[in-house]
Amino acid sequence: MSAIAPVPTEAGACLAIMPARDEAATVGTVVEGVRRTLGCAVLVVDDASSDATSDAARAAGATVLTLPLGLGAWGATQAGIRYARRHGFQNAITLDADGQHLPESLPLLVKAKNETGANVVIGTCTGRLSRAKRIAWQYLRLLTGLRLNDFTSGLRLYDVHAIEVLAGQEASLLDYQDVGVLMLLSRSGLSIAETPVEMVPRRAGHSRVFASWPVVARYMMHTTVLCLAQIDAVRRHSGGADRAC
Amino acid sequence: MLTGQITSAIIGVGLAGAILFLVRRDHLHGPYALWWFAVAAATFALGVFPVIIAWLARTTGIGYAPVLPIVVGLSLVLIRLLKLDIDRSKQERQIRRLTQKLAILEQELDRLGGRRPPEPTDDNGR
Repeated sequence: MSAIAPVPTEAGACLAIMPARDEAATVGTVVEGVRRTLGCAVLVVDDASSDATSDAARAAGATVLTLPLGLGAWGATQAGIRYARRHGFQNAITLDADGQHLPESLPLLVKAKNETGANVVIGTCTGRLSRAKRIAWQYLRLLTGLRLNDFTSGLRLYDVHAIEVLAGQEASLLDYQDVGVLMLLSRSGLSIAETPVEMVPRRAGHSRVFASWPVVARYMMHTTVLCLAQIDAVRRHSGGADRAC
Repeated sequence: MLTGQITSAIIGVGLAGAILFLVRRDHLHGPYALWWFAVAAATFALGVFPVIIAWLARTTGIGYAPVLPIVVGLSLVLIRLLKLDIDRSKQERQIRRLTQKLAILEQELDRLGGRRPPEPTDDNGR
């Protein structure tokens, strides 16, 4: 193990992490866009794709992690975050590989971080919210006490403290990069900021959370239980009591 | 015609024998074997000596004795199921972290070694 001791590689300061499942059609363009606009290293985490996602990402200049089992969007993202921690990256930016998040908006996250000094910056696009989502978000705001506009946006910037928290065991049983992740960060005393960004409709695939009404209902039930289960944990971490349920 | 005691003895001994067989064949591991060994001993004792149930019911103030093993048995099954889900959650966490670590180490291996060896394919060509 010591022979392959992790060392800061490539750009060193920042790593763009893109979880991808069967996104061969779009991943290459997104990787090139990120490298062009941000100039940082790009890591594509191939979530057991059945198409040529890995090859397309490598061809575009990304480092690729290939998960032998499908772990879902958060499992793949966490693999990237653990990679970032192991290789000494100071910041990790997560974005979708389907082209929904514009690479041009990434500098806005960095700017917002520099301005607010927050540990986590979420890129939100409030304009895209449907009525169902607005109701869901209002409910989640009430339930969690987190004063955020978008709970499921996959466009985020994590600093080294957030990377440390999210690489841990406690984050490994979460299923989505959303409320559970945000509550964990908040409980750990980290600050979360939001910045509005432009997003485009998904070119391929669809939202894993808002796929259909039964899926939404299941998601809301899961999240409610997750949130209720955290009540005691938050009391133990009184620092985050005003922000999490 | 069987009496109730013989029937319960057959069930108790049969269940205990089946569990012991599985424990001895190494189909049940460590703490599970201990749990099931205790269950086997209890079913054997209660099957052969149903008078224990009547005595326990009198002691605990239960009016209808036959309901006692059912209630206790169901409670133990629920506890066992709960433990099973706890263990499954723990294993799920371990599997996820192992999968992530495997992918990270594979990438590092590729980076150090340069070329990756051809992967063996299964019947589906994957």
